[in-house]
Amino acid sequence: MSYLEYTVKTVPSGLRKVLFLNWPLVVLLAAVASIGFLMLYSVAGGSFSPWAETQMKRFAMGLGAMFIVAMIPIWFWRNMAVVAYAGSLLLLLAVEFVGVTGMGAQRWIDLGFMRLQPSELTKITMVMLLAAYYDWLPLKRTSHPLWVLLPVVMILIPTFLVLIQPDLGTAILLVTAGGLMMFLAGVHWAYFATVIAGGAGFIAAVFQSRGTEWQLLKDYQFRRIDTFLDPASDPLGAGYHITQAKIAMGSGGWAGRGFMQGTQSRLNFLPEKHTDFIFNTLAEEFGFIGAFSLLMLYVLILVFCVASALQNKDRFSSLMILGIGLTFFLFFAVNMSMVMGLAPVVGVPLPLVSYGGSAMLVLMVAFGLVQSAHIHRPR
Amino acid sequence: MIRTPLRPLARILDARQKGENPDVIERENIRQRHEEMRNKTRARAEGRLLVLGLMFFCAFTVIGARMGLMAASEPAEPRHRGGGAVISAQRADIVDRQGRILATNMETHSLYAHPHQMIEPVRAARALVGIFPELNEEKLTKLFTGKRKFVWVKKTLSPEQQQAVHDIGEPGLLFGPREMRLYPNGSVAAHILGGSRFDKEDVSSADVVGIAGVEGFFDKELRDPARQGAPLQLSIDLTLQSASEDVLYSGMKLMNAKGAASVLMDAQTGEILSMVSLPDFDPNSRPHAATQGHPDDHPTFNRAVQGVYELGSTFKIFTSAQALDLGLVNPDTMIDIRGPLRWGKHKIKDFSYYGKELPVTKVIVKSSNIGTARLAQMIGAARQKEFLEALGMFKHTPVELTEASGGKPLLPKNWSELSTMTISYGHGISTSPLHLAAGYAAIANGGRVVEPTLIKQPKPKPGPQVLTAASAEASRAMLRLVVKHPDGTANFGEVKGYAVAGKTGTADKPKPTGGYYDDRVIATFASLFPAHDPRYVLIVTLDEPEVMALGEQRRTAGWTAVPVAAEMITRMAPLMGLRPQVEPEAMAGITLASQ
Repeated sequence: MSYLEYTVKTVPSGLRKVLFLNWPLVVLLAAVASIGFLMLYSVAGGSFSPWAETQMKRFAMGLGAMFIVAMIPIWFWRNMAVVAYAGSLLLLLAVEFVGVTGMGAQRWIDLGFMRLQPSELTKITMVMLLAAYYDWLPLKRTSHPLWVLLPVVMILIPTFLVLIQPDLGTAILLVTAGGLMMFLAGVHWAYFATVIAGGAGFIAAVFQSRGTEWQLLKDYQFRRIDTFLDPASDPLGAGYHITQAKIAMGSGGWAGRGFMQGTQSRLNFLPEKHTDFIFNTLAEEFGFIGAFSLLMLYVLILVFCVASALQNKDRFSSLMILGIGLTFFLFFAVNMSMVMGLAPVVGVPLPLVSYGGSAMLVLMVAFGLVQSAHIHRPR
Repeated sequence: MIRTPLRPLARILDARQKGENPDVIERENIRQRHEEMRNKTRARAEGRLLVLGLMFFCAFTVIGARMGLMAASEPAEPRHRGGGAVISAQRADIVDRQGRILATNMETHSLYAHPHQMIEPVRAARALVGIFPELNEEKLTKLFTGKRKFVWVKKTLSPEQQQAVHDIGEPGLLFGPREMRLYPNGSVAAHILGGSRFDKEDVSSADVVGIAGVEGFFDKELRDPARQGAPLQLSIDLTLQSASEDVLYSGMKLMNAKGAASVLMDAQTGEILSMVSLPDFDPNSRPHAATQGHPDDHPTFNRAVQGVYELGSTFKIFTSAQALDLGLVNPDTMIDIRGPLRWGKHKIKDFSYYGKELPVTKVIVKSSNIGTARLAQMIGAARQKEFLEALGMFKHTPVELTEASGGKPLLPKNWSELSTMTISYGHGISTSPLHLAAGYAAIANGGRVVEPTLIKQPKPKPGPQVLTAASAEASRAMLRLVVKHPDGTANFGEVKGYAVAGKTGTADKPKPTGGYYDDRVIATFASLFPAHDPRYVLIVTLDEPEVMALGEQRRTAGWTAVPVAAEMITRMAPLMGLRPQVEPEAMAGITLASQ
């Protein structure tokens, strides 16, 4: 039971709420999305179709959704956390049976007007549930083994459902985001140390097992790891994506080749140039300056989220804002690392920039929650 | 941890005494305790947030640094780094004397299969047979469905074939890059080039090694990385080689011969300008060694170098030249040719009756065995041996072919006086046509020995003088007459404007069981031209020719090898830049005086 309902005295009401929105955050989101439109326009060869126009409509829809979510008091959303989580689990299960197969994995549910990717939704509902859970849980029980086990189960159920789709990238994001939220909520650090040490030991064991009788991974899985570690060893096969992406980055240099001058993406060398690898197009056309500016925009969004969380005395609100912030962070950090060859290619889009409906909409709703928490914070 | 009691007795009693409500104190204390707890969790949460912030910062730093690094890097197109052995140094090209390519390398692909990766092995086998009809579908299917993990399908593919295999779409069919040896002129100069094969092959490369001809002889040099791919320049001329193969082939067919050989040599340097052996083969797919039939009849057998034959009357000029050189006779000395000449059980006969005696010139022109044998008797075994050895007739030719050592002349075990007499007209000694060419070159160039070579020589290297220039010139005059004189055995060899001189030779072929066939001959024409300034030697040898002429079966060289040689000279002289010339009178003067 939060003291929120009882201490909120000066929460704005009605249309006045609009004035109390975190407007800098809105502007930052719009700026990032605009970079996305620009890049989609460019990779389509200087045309609004097929991507830029759709993406703009989606962003408009997302902006609308964000405002609506922001207007609804945060305590309503807190009370809805369990329902939303259960709903997204049901959708994940539904994907298994009625999902549309795309790119070799079952990920979408066709809703008629749009194709929904429940795994995207799950990222937010899981954050909400964990925030609500730690808000409800008395502080002294936070590190009690039983009360640690419960959130672990909450994280692992959707992770498992995503993993069998299969979508390794999202699964890793879910586990990492959930773990970090538990860390923020104040679970004893010894748990994390144990898990990290265990994980490191397991990875070491996997590599040690290579070539022995009790080999833990298949040969091809090892080869994939090899390709990640040295993509040039197979530039036309598994290393193709990353090699071409690196060429794009390198050819951009410091100032870039200029808008719509990127050869790698426009001549179709770059795979997935409008989705996961759009960052390389940006880096090729606007160079280091463009790429670094985008990174700075993301950092600013994160800074505003953290500042908002620190201002907020409500535990649910601040945990949720931080959770959404770090999910956002994981998105772009993993995507950028991936396209620059720092991480294996796992298929994580660049938030707000990559072409894609579900991710955009879900992210805007998430920022709607952040705004709601911001507006309805106890003063 | 010291906890403040919620209801400290002292304060409560105190309050009661003052008549205040003690609950206020309790509430105050509860509020304080809550504040404390919140502050503690807040501090902890902020600590956690700081850790997270540090992690974010690290991530941003790494990503930013990576961005900068990549922006600063020069973009480089990636090259495939094969996991296997590096392709060994490229084999050097072989070119002709004009620098035209005779042998070079081509990037191609080999085709192999990983049956365990195959999806539809049966369909793949059928599709492969559709592309390569020479493959056996049943065998392939068996290999593809069997236990083997690796199957070679084809060692080299053309780009079209590779595309076709690619279009099958079978992931278990794989290509490996490799370099293959290519002979762009096909069978031209086949015996000179020899051939090559793959050695030490794996899927990413294969060594090419020469196995015959100059490829075999110069294998080490051609593969030597220190040469840096500098081409090997041969003495042969692609145009002349091609033309002589062409004419010799027609000649062989026309004369119903089963084989033929020719050598065209520069008389000054010993450079071989063209050398043909028929039947021939395509070095791009060198046939396997003979498993049946006589090895000498196999296409890979080089008749011009490996084939040692009794070359018959062509040897007579060596005898007469030596006799002139030693001063035993002059061209007009009359020689007794009454026959048959008996020596023990043996009789030496002439082809037909030429009278009682003939001058030396006529002995050559009419090709009298008896007359030549008489000259040999004058010379004697020791001096004859010495002379022939000096001409290089005793060991295999030094020509740069792996096959050269196989062309060792057959000499009599015991060089008796009878041997001396038969050898004088070319029986009892077997040499290759190339030996003969070297011998005639000595007569053509004024008496100096030459070493036959296939490598272009920067300048002539004069060998030892074995004949005086005068006796060489006198011998050339005789040879000219053999062609020019109406009675000469080679009068079909006259080519207007090129003053051909030469000597015919028709030798019965020995039976493998001993003795000689009477209907199988080796017909040879050894010639040099132009007679007044000889620059080239041409040897033409036909194996078992037989032609119907003037109502008779004719086998002698005059009817078979000579017309073929004449045709070759007609065709090749213009290609060599020789202009037709009117023969100087001086030459004719000598011949006139001799008559």
